[in-house]
This record gives sequence, structure tokens and C-alpha cells, in this order.
Amino acid sequence: MDDARRTPAPPKSGAGPFRRDFWRSPLRGPWLASVLSSALLPLILVCALTGFLSHAAYEPELGSNRLIMAPDLFPWRWPTNPAWLYGLNQGLHIITGLAAIPILLAKLWAVTPKLFEVPVVRSVAHLLERLSLALLVGGGLFVLATGIINIQLWYPFGFSFVLGHYWGAVVFVAALAFHVAIKLGVMRRAFRANGVLRPLRDDLEHTRPEPELDGLHTSAPGAPASPTLTRRFLLGGVGAGSIGLTLMGLGQVAGGPFRRLAQLAPRGQSYGDGPNDFQVNKTFRSVRIPRTEVGPDWRLTLQVGDVRRAELTRARLLDLEQVSAELPIACVEGWTTTQRWTGVRISELARLAGAADPVEVEARSLQKRGTFRRATLSASQLEDPRSLLALRVNGADLSLDHGFPARLIVPALPGVHCTKWVTALTFKESA
Amino acid sequence: MNRFRRRYGASPLHLLAALSSLALAAWAVAEVLDVAGRPGRILLWFVGAIIAHDLVLFPAYTAIGRLLQRALGLTGDDPEQRSRLRIAALNHVRVPALLSGLMLLVWFPLIARKAPQTFENLSARSADGYLGRWLLLSALLFAGSALLLVLRAWRMRARSPA
Repeated sequence: MDDARRTPAPPKSGAGPFRRDFWRSPLRGPWLASVLSSALLPLILVCALTGFLSHAAYEPELGSNRLIMAPDLFPWRWPTNPAWLYGLNQGLHIITGLAAIPILLAKLWAVTPKLFEVPVVRSVAHLLERLSLALLVGGGLFVLATGIINIQLWYPFGFSFVLGHYWGAVVFVAALAFHVAIKLGVMRRAFRANGVLRPLRDDLEHTRPEPELDGLHTSAPGAPASPTLTRRFLLGGVGAGSIGLTLMGLGQVAGGPFRRLAQLAPRGQSYGDGPNDFQVNKTFRSVRIPRTEVGPDWRLTLQVGDVRRAELTRARLLDLEQVSAELPIACVEGWTTTQRWTGVRISELARLAGAADPVEVEARSLQKRGTFRRATLSASQLEDPRSLLALRVNGADLSLDHGFPARLIVPALPGVHCTKWVTALTFKESA
Repeated sequence: MNRFRRRYGASPLHLLAALSSLALAAWAVAEVLDVAGRPGRILLWFVGAIIAHDLVLFPAYTAIGRLLQRALGLTGDDPEQRSRLRIAALNHVRVPALLSGLMLLVWFPLIARKAPQTFENLSARSADGYLGRWLLLSALLFAGSALLLVLRAWRMRARSPA
């Protein structure tokens, strides 16, 4: 698939950044770009894969779970085992995304001279490549920017984050696949010419500009200045940035004493030592449920289809068999916390409602608005013996912020589907 | 085959790969146009991201880097100017500055308190303190880098003949 390009343009054509001797760093070149890409590609692949898997974890085919009209490529139901699956998925998604940022910025630094290459368009093939590069760079910056802004609970987009982030990722992945396909050859040549790791051995005295690859337009400088930096030092600096952001992301997932690592990450703060002192996604105050609705008059309605089968007080629920489960709750935003939840099995409530062979259950919250005021669980989720309508956590009643009087907790389920302030469970029987 | 290469600029496989990639991207764009209330906003963010990096962030940090080099007298190739100590000093500023800038870039919404009310409302935690923690971490990086530079300068002097 080698691109049959003509030899590089003479160095003095154009003006300003369009002149080849405008770009002077001796470290730029195809080897540097290739090394950075080799680090970047696995991170992006994991980030993209976990992102698309998260779409599946929301079980868009059930009830009103669907957030965006996207194809459901995941052929199975989202599993409940291991319970930390969704926490792992989102931890990986956010951490690889964060870790990719400094490497992507370095990569863009390394290849920016190519943005100003002359002639601007050499052939139809070159035009298509440049068009695709606009999608690649725009898509990459778009998904990373929207992602890091969204996890910091700032919503300045003016469009649905999920919609933009998902379809932006499709554009990015499409352009990336083409980019990798046409650049693998260049990467191979750059590694063959310089060695994969050999340039890392050079100290400053031995740091030379990268050689051009015959017949290719590369980002190697036209008029290299004397180096002030070794290649290993540059890559070490980029790696330090990447590791720093990884640790901050890790702090949000690992919890316990590690949470303090997340110094600048949104979910690094401690809540205290009490039974209800752990991460809150949406507070009781923020959803504007009237206080009276969570008082002694609160009832849990059990329905099968359209038929109302039972209304239970909280005291009645506490009289049923209480089950405890140590389960993580994991947010799409990449933070996780594991707690000991106590309550009634969803399957027990299905039996109580007289639902024969239930295939789905929809939990409805007291919230009047908000995308996640209801969620539908699959048969395997509602049958899992650890899937609970939780009434208590760590030996105490749930706090209002954690969903008092009752909330769902289901292994490996996205946090926002673990509905809080549940008012009704509606079971659907197999047809 | 050669005629195709001459006209198109690459192999037919290149064209097939380009078209399948562009078609996939176009599908995503069509889906967005179909369902987004204000697809123009998404386009604005997409193009804005490119402009913000290529025409703002990149020129800005390049210019700051060149100013720093000039301040240290490291612009030319004159070996007289290029003392090891000056180059070391340049890099001992570059690294903490870039890491501090990276933290600001990534955690800018929290550091600049872009939506403190929403943050506190949703998470039940304070939106304060991020600016302070960023400044402290930056101070730590610069101080650590300075300390290392002093040690290196001291070792360089110890080694070089008086």
C-alpha cells in the first residue's frame, strides 16, 4: 500500500511555517512519531473498546434504557459476573483516555510540520489522506475534550454528551483505521532505519537529527537546530505526564487509601468514615423530590405488567429475608466504590408479586425528571442472588443521598442504573 | 496499474481503504444530523478542537518555549553559548512547566471552577481546593526540579577542572 509520492519539495518554497526550514527541532521525525504512535495505539484501542462495551452495559434493547440510536453489536446480555466488571471497564476507559492525552499532544507536536507541507495537495490520494487526517485529529481531540470535561461535571456542550461522544468516537476510529493502514509501512521503515529503541541510547552529544526516509514527506526538520534535549528525556517527560494522570485516574477506581492519589480528579475527595460516607453521583437535593414522598407514607409498588400486585411499607420490606452483599458501584465517569449493601433480593420481590418466570423488571424512581429516573434489568440481572433492593448500607439505613428509602444494587450494572429512591418495580413475564 | 498510480497517487488498495474509512465516518455524521437537536454545536466543537490545538495551544507553548530559550541565551548553535549548565537549566524549567501545564489543561474545569454549583449539587463535595492543589503540585514540581538542578550544577563544577 506504499504511497508513490514524488520526492520532497525544495526546502525554500512557501513562507512562514510553510517553509521547511521554519521547523528546527532535531528530534522531530518519523522515528519519534512512530514510537509515540506505538504507545498511543494500545491506549486508544482499549479506550475505544471499553467505550463501545459501556454502550452494551446499559442494555439498550431493554425497556427505555436506550440513550442513543446506535447498533447493538454486543451479542450477549451484559453479565453480572464478575461484579467489578463495569468498574474495571470504566476504570480502563477513563484511565487510558487520560494517559493518552500527553502522548497525543506529543505526537501532534512531532508531526505538526506536516500540517504545513507544500504543495498543500499533491494528488487525489494525498487529498483523501489530508481529509481523513482532519477527521483523525478533530475526532481525537473532540472525544478526549468532551470526555474530560464531562467527568468534571461541567456541561457546556449544547448537545447531548453521550450522542456527541459516541458518534465522535466512530468518526475517530474510522479515520484511525485508515491512518494505521497507510502508516504501518512508514513506521516499519522508520524502525528499520533507526532501530526501535536505539535512538534512546544517545546522550546529548550523540543526539542527531533524524534522517529523511527516501521519497517520503516526513516531519524531519529541514534545517535542524542543535539539540537541547535527548530523545529519552523527551519521551521520559511525556511518560511522566502519562503516569501522573494514570495515578490520578487510578485513585478514583482503587478507593481506600489510594483515593488520595486522585488529587485533581473529580472523585478524589473523602466523604468521611460513617456508613453512608462514600461517593454520591446525584444528591437528594439535586433531584428535587419532595421530602414527604420519602417519609412514612412511602410505599413500594410491585407490578406485573399493568396489574398492581402489592404495596409494601419499608417496615414490611425489612421483615422480609434480608440479604447482604459486598458490591461495587461504578460510575460511567470512571470512579468506583465498594460497600456492604443489605436488602431484599429482587427475585424474592418477583415471587412476592406473583410474577411467573419474569424476563425483565423496570425500576422507577420518585424523580420526576432525568434520563435515569427508571432502568430496566434483564432476566439474568434480576435473578442474580446478589441483586438487591437495598434498604441499608454498612449496617445503617441508606442516607437520602444514597437513595433512601430503597435503591437498586446489581452486580456489574452501570451506577446510574442502580436506581435510587425506588417507588415501583414492574415485572414483565415471558410472553 | 501504473496508470492508476500516476493518476490517483497511490495503489487501488489505498483508495479502497480511504473510501471505506470516509464512508464509515460519513455514516456517523449522518446519524448525528438525523437525531441531534443542534448538530451545528457538535460541528462547532469538532472544528473548535482542531483550531484550539493547532492555532492556539501549539503556537502558544512553542512561543513560550522559544522565549525561554532566548532568555537562557540558547538560540544559536554557537558551542560557546551551549554550556551544559544552560541546557540543563532549560530542561529543568521545561519539564515542570509542561507537567504543570498538562494538569491545568486536563483539570481546567475544576481548577477554574467552571461549574461549582453543579459540582457541589451532584457530588455533595466542595468545588473549592482544586486551584490550590494544582498550585501546590506545581510548586512541588518546580522546587524538586530546582533542587535537582542545583545538585547537577554542583556535580558539574566538582568534575570540571578549576
